[in-house]
Amino acid sequence: MAQTETLTGGCQCGAVRFATKLVGRPSICHCRMCQKAFGSFFGPLVTSHDGHWTRGTPKWFQSSNLARRAFCGDCGTPLAYETKYGLELAIGAFDEPAKVAPVIQVNLHDKVPFFETLTSLPTPDHPEAEWLDFMAGIHSNQHPDHETDEWSASDEDRS
Amino acid sequence: MTDIQMEMSGGCQCGAVRYHATSFRDDAHICHCRMCQKAVGNYFEALVGVPLAALSWTRGTPAVFRSSEHIERGFCDQCGTPLFYHDTSRASFSLTIGALDHPEKFKPATQDGIEGRMPWFATLTDVPDAGETEAGDPAWAAAIKASNHQHPDHDTETWTVKE
Repeated sequence: MAQTETLTGGCQCGAVRFATKLVGRPSICHCRMCQKAFGSFFGPLVTSHDGHWTRGTPKWFQSSNLARRAFCGDCGTPLAYETKYGLELAIGAFDEPAKVAPVIQVNLHDKVPFFETLTSLPTPDHPEAEWLDFMAGIHSNQHPDHETDEWSASDEDRS
Repeated sequence: MTDIQMEMSGGCQCGAVRYHATSFRDDAHICHCRMCQKAVGNYFEALVGVPLAALSWTRGTPAVFRSSEHIERGFCDQCGTPLFYHDTSRASFSLTIGALDHPEKFKPATQDGIEGRMPWFATLTDVPDAGETEAGDPAWAAAIKASNHQHPDHDTETWTVKE
């Protein structure tokens, strides 16, 4: 992908933010360790050659002796994967993840058997009034998808 | 909607938090909304509902972030694994499918939060394969396997979180 702009991102609560300009090949990894770390069917990661934390610092879990994984200790958002080969950032944590489309998938041996069906799933019809009422009641505590000069997530949002 | 009677455990990557469920809602789905994306650092979140009465925490306690007024998101504060989505206004509780011991048992039936869906999502499964870690770098794969600090995909009598 074009490496012409600085890409930013961070966790859901905004305690940890990052920036990177030099990114490599975005991938999705099906291995069981990425599945578990992301609580999902795969891990979406992009190599970052100059990634750095611009607000706060993540917590790390040494998932094996060769790799460690970063996350926000306050809200849990998975943020990065790091080995001797470098740092890879969690794509969903970017402010504009659509700009970081995967170009490769790896570790197919752990791929969930229904992976190919995910892109054609139907969209359910919600009970209109109930859903609109629910959406109207949302007051997000999520950090916005852009840099902020100051940001504080209130402590009452964490427990 | 009839619940699925199925026993299954799950938990975080490091094993500090484990749970067991005795039944599940028949509602496995993926949600593309921006808040779900962010909570799990992914293109979408994969969830399956569980009746609260059917769920027990068998080891440790999840941490919680209240992402909006009514929604709690649970995670392990030692390794970060996203664990659940809890709508407190409707007592609706969903587990992240990837944290279950057998995620392959929960094929999503629907997709939601379409307003946040990646514009190229339809081509996600067409992305070329890069092959197996084992094929490209067998020594690397073997070293990870030998020092894997991840809790196994089954319950354990005792477990020490490895750091």
